[in-house]
Amino acid sequence: MTTSIRQRLTLLVLVSVALVWALALISSYRQAIHEAGEWDDARIEQVARTLALVDVNDLVALVNETSHVSDDDGDDDVSRRLLYEVRDLNGQLLAASPGLPGLPPTAAPSAPGKDAANSATAGVPEWNIHQLRDALHDRSVRVFERNDSRADLGAGVARRIARPLAFALPVLALVIWAAIGSSLAPLKILSRAIAARNVDNLETIDLQGTPAEVSPLVDALNVLLSRLHASLDRERAFTADAAHELKSPLAAIKVQAQVALTTRDPAKQRLAMQRVVEAVDRSTHLAEQLLLLARLDERIPAAAIDVHLDTVARECIAARGADALAKGLELSVAGDAYVTIEAPPAFVRIMLDNLVDNAIKYAEAGGRVEIVTRQTPEATLLLVRDNGRGVTEQDRMRLSDRFFRAADARQSGTGLGLSIVARIVDRLGGKLTYTTGIDGRGLGVEIRLPPSSRHNLP
Amino acid sequence: MRVLLVEDDELIASGVEEGLRDAGLTVDWAHDGREAMLALTTTEYELVVLDLGLPKLSGTELLDWLRGRRDDTPVLVMTARDTVADRVGGLTAGADDYLGKPFDLSELIARCRALLRRAHGRSTETIQYRDLIVEPSTFTVTQGGLRQPLTSRECAVLIELLTHQGTPLSRARIEENLYGWQEEVESNAVEVHISNLRKKLGPGIIKTIRGVGYVMEKAS
Repeated sequence: MTTSIRQRLTLLVLVSVALVWALALISSYRQAIHEAGEWDDARIEQVARTLALVDVNDLVALVNETSHVSDDDGDDDVSRRLLYEVRDLNGQLLAASPGLPGLPPTAAPSAPGKDAANSATAGVPEWNIHQLRDALHDRSVRVFERNDSRADLGAGVARRIARPLAFALPVLALVIWAAIGSSLAPLKILSRAIAARNVDNLETIDLQGTPAEVSPLVDALNVLLSRLHASLDRERAFTADAAHELKSPLAAIKVQAQVALTTRDPAKQRLAMQRVVEAVDRSTHLAEQLLLLARLDERIPAAAIDVHLDTVARECIAARGADALAKGLELSVAGDAYVTIEAPPAFVRIMLDNLVDNAIKYAEAGGRVEIVTRQTPEATLLLVRDNGRGVTEQDRMRLSDRFFRAADARQSGTGLGLSIVARIVDRLGGKLTYTTGIDGRGLGVEIRLPPSSRHNLP
Repeated sequence: MRVLLVEDDELIASGVEEGLRDAGLTVDWAHDGREAMLALTTTEYELVVLDLGLPKLSGTELLDWLRGRRDDTPVLVMTARDTVADRVGGLTAGADDYLGKPFDLSELIARCRALLRRAHGRSTETIQYRDLIVEPSTFTVTQGGLRQPLTSRECAVLIELLTHQGTPLSRARIEENLYGWQEEVESNAVEVHISNLRKKLGPGIIKTIRGVGYVMEKAS
């Protein structure tokens, strides 16, 4: 099957038209043949009747004269030859067309006074014989008509009907071809409009007078384009932000290294070098976070296994004992034990690490950080909260944004931690909400994960 | 000369502060836009070194505010966002110079000096005053071809008086230009520096105007 709409439509329309025409042709041919046959019979009978009446002397001349019925309408009809034989009722030949095949006279007498046009074929293959017995005038007339003359008549009629159609069909094909072509023009305009675009132009397509059949396509394209546009914008903003964020620790390294190089005070030199190391650590952490985020975005499949949330929480807290002690913080795990989720273990640990790090960072000296795990039939709940300064309602909306840092953030950070958590929660099919922390203070991060069913994450 | 450094990144700020101090400038460090605003309303600075990505009040907003109150203090912007569009935007908004991160500390100091020099209407770094030649960048002072050993503080006081020739400067003003927020100032520090300068460069070089302060008369 061809893939061109134009070819297909043209072909389909032409085939249907040809089919309808063929049916019409056949039916009119039949009709014509029938009509012509009736007309022919009437004519032959009339001729026979005339021959029955004509005087014997005239009869011979008439028969000779009319044995050729010329057809002068100019077409190529086969000559409608009729031959005659006139006898009296005793079988005595009165007159006969020349070239008449020797045929035995029909003996069967017809009822006197009754005109009978007997058009039965009388055993002679090439000729149809019409017989009229006129008892009143003592005549028996036989009219011979060539067998094939009826068929010739039919063929002629058919040709006359078919001839205009033979011309009309190619003309119709051309007209249809052109009409379909012009109807498909909007598609061509659309494809030209799309082809003329470069990669940077993702504006929506605005075509004047788009037909109803094409506008869903244009609409769908526009939806896709605007989505692409938005995602490209996000990507660009992310790259710009990432470059910006990477430059800051680099600037710190350079400045501190230059201080170390120029100062003559060994204590200052040492301090500057310590700060260089600190800045390198910071950029390493940033690079790791960026890489992690990129991996999460790539959606590389990760095998999910049963993970005890509370166990991971305890490990995570144990690893931060020193930090917590230094700040005088109380870290704890509460809630149900053996809360199990199915997830890649690395995801769970990264998620908890980021949340607890944040909580420790923003908790005030002597404050509390709490991890709560809870198992309900509908969901698994993980809550990390502190009683620090908290985050304003306004800033909470943007906490998961990449590189977002609260306006009054005094702590250094990449601004990526919570966006990483949000991506992981998204991949685990969970829901992340920000609430108030402990005793109406601080920040609480609530993660609701679907009940486990063994599966590999997309 | 007192400079306000506005930068939220501790690691960058501490290095810049150190570098500018080494260059003989007095540095106050503001961590965010609000703090900088407060500092600018209470203290007179000869230069602001400004980071644009600041918490609370962005550098751009601070710059708008500063220029909005017709404050002509030179502003050097340092930022990681340093595309041509960013630079043009910053300069149009009223910055006097633009430095992209990461930058060279020596370049930052040189640009700061250039801005300070231009603010005082000088086109070269070297200050000449009668038989004195002062090189602020190296803290070298020669008098009649002879190198005079001055401490950095003494040199700073001298440069301060030289840049305001003919205008008496109060003790408090000199002190302010000599010491940052965190530095302890002894009550008679300025007097000590002035007396040392007189000892080294000649008694008549700095005049005391009682009740007003100190002045170096305009070189004729």
